Amino acid sequence: MASLHELQMAFAEAVLDDAPEGLPEGLLAGGRPPGEGFGLYRSSVFGNYRKALRAVYPVVERLVGERFFAYAADAYVRVHPSRCGDLNRFGSRFAEFLRGFPAASGLAYLPDAARLEWAIEAVFSAQDPDPAALLPLARIAEVDYPGLKFRLAAHCRLIDSPWPVDRLWQLNQPGVVWDEEFDIAAGGVSLLVCRSGFEVELRRLGAAERALLDSLAGGSALGPACEGVLEIEPSAPIASMLHGFLATAALQVLPPERDRPGPSR
Amino acid sequence: MNDRIPCADPVGVPCAAGIGLRTCHFREILGRRPKIGWVEVHSENFFGAGGQPRHWLERICEHYPVSLHGVGLSLGSAGPLDRDHLDRLTRLVRHIEPGLVSEHLSWSMAGQRHLNELLPLPYTDEALAVVCAHVDQVQDVLGRQILVENISRYLGYRQSTMTEPEFLAELVARSGCGLLLDVNNVYVSAHNLGFDARDYLEAIPAAAVAEIHLAGHARIGGMLVDTHGTRVADPVWELYAATIERLGARPTLIEWDNDIPPLAVLLGEAERAAGILEATDGIAA
Repeated sequence: MASLHELQMAFAEAVLDDAPEGLPEGLLAGGRPPGEGFGLYRSSVFGNYRKALRAVYPVVERLVGERFFAYAADAYVRVHPSRCGDLNRFGSRFAEFLRGFPAASGLAYLPDAARLEWAIEAVFSAQDPDPAALLPLARIAEVDYPGLKFRLAAHCRLIDSPWPVDRLWQLNQPGVVWDEEFDIAAGGVSLLVCRSGFEVELRRLGAAERALLDSLAGGSALGPACEGVLEIEPSAPIASMLHGFLATAALQVLPPERDRPGPSR
Repeated sequence: MNDRIPCADPVGVPCAAGIGLRTCHFREILGRRPKIGWVEVHSENFFGAGGQPRHWLERICEHYPVSLHGVGLSLGSAGPLDRDHLDRLTRLVRHIEPGLVSEHLSWSMAGQRHLNELLPLPYTDEALAVVCAHVDQVQDVLGRQILVENISRYLGYRQSTMTEPEFLAELVARSGCGLLLDVNNVYVSAHNLGFDARDYLEAIPAAAVAEIHLAGHARIGGMLVDTHGTRVADPVWELYAATIERLGARPTLIEWDNDIPPLAVLLGEAERAAGILEATDGIAA
């Protein structure tokens, strides 16, 4: 007799891998052939996967159409099977999949549209910004400013794309009238995807803003980060840029290193 | 034998009718605050640490007793539970302190792959040991009892050595968990697998039933499918009335997850359940 593990592996394989030789052994269906019941599970499993992707990627679905989206979703499952009991996480690699999906190769911007939608999904229910996050700044002496370190807050993401994906996203929201002037080849964007209250906002960043945010989010201290920005744009208004990121809580101050818990000795 | 017992009265969730609360109704519920006994939400939809979902759930908790109903823990999978999933559930439970916490008698994970579906178990000693160990672990980590729900089944297994009620009775006796009895699921499984729903209800450990679910189903081909997309069917209402007659009043939930109707329809279904609960002398709250 098969162990529970063997039974479940065989069942999962038959559901997910299109096993043409049929069903796992030992299934019963009240006197009927078990194929009908097994088919219900199979269609429900794939239906759930598609529904989960559809919920996160409505713009991608709108761009490619329902039938192509379902086809892509079924192909995605086979390359990146679900690894989590929470279906809300299932689509985490959809953009990466689309990038290598031959059937979508004619839509070069599609993976970036998906990347933006995943970022929007992630920030939608991410931890709220801490209203007390700015307090540590008041206790830091000016002389220590160059050594300050920050992190990008959980409710924010940075997205770079060679396509104007923010405009693409906006034009594909329900009820929005298509802008005939829109040109997908109009040039790339750097975006700060950030939740303000409950609304997710897409903010285009200039080159200096992008460099500052990227550098600080990557762990650089403020001093070197500013130097890097000034090399790109010597007249960059760094103080007001920084103030803007702190005021919207996109950046959060890390405590000075001497106050952080060190490795135990 | 009369198995009726006083209402189990789980903390916060009364022996009254409630509704499964879905995103499309949050705003209306909070705006109108209709008179309903309690609400239930899917745990996984509130695993995020902030934003609108968490905010809404917190507001709901201010006004209604809440039950957390999980669909992704896979209590019946051979191998260890997904510790990350359990940790996220634990954080949510500690945050909102719900009246009830429930999961399913099913499996959905095989090896590293999740099918994200409530799949049926063979009712064997091995499966019982697996589910008991997982329920023990969840109850230890959460520091509280959980309820385990019978699923709708479209298949059974030749290797089963127990009926589902026998399996549930052993699970309750060994782990101390409670039961979430889904009357629609009993009806659907009875039709699909060819057993008598009333015999099933006679055989379950009545005292362990701390919550009841009611939902709609559909006929697809020769089978009944638990769609959660229509009103509760009349034969299921009859079975529910017989269940309450036997068990006494229990917190009863109307579930509706697909083609979700206006809130008024859900409240109407809940009112019908409340009428049956109130007709019993085991009523509380």
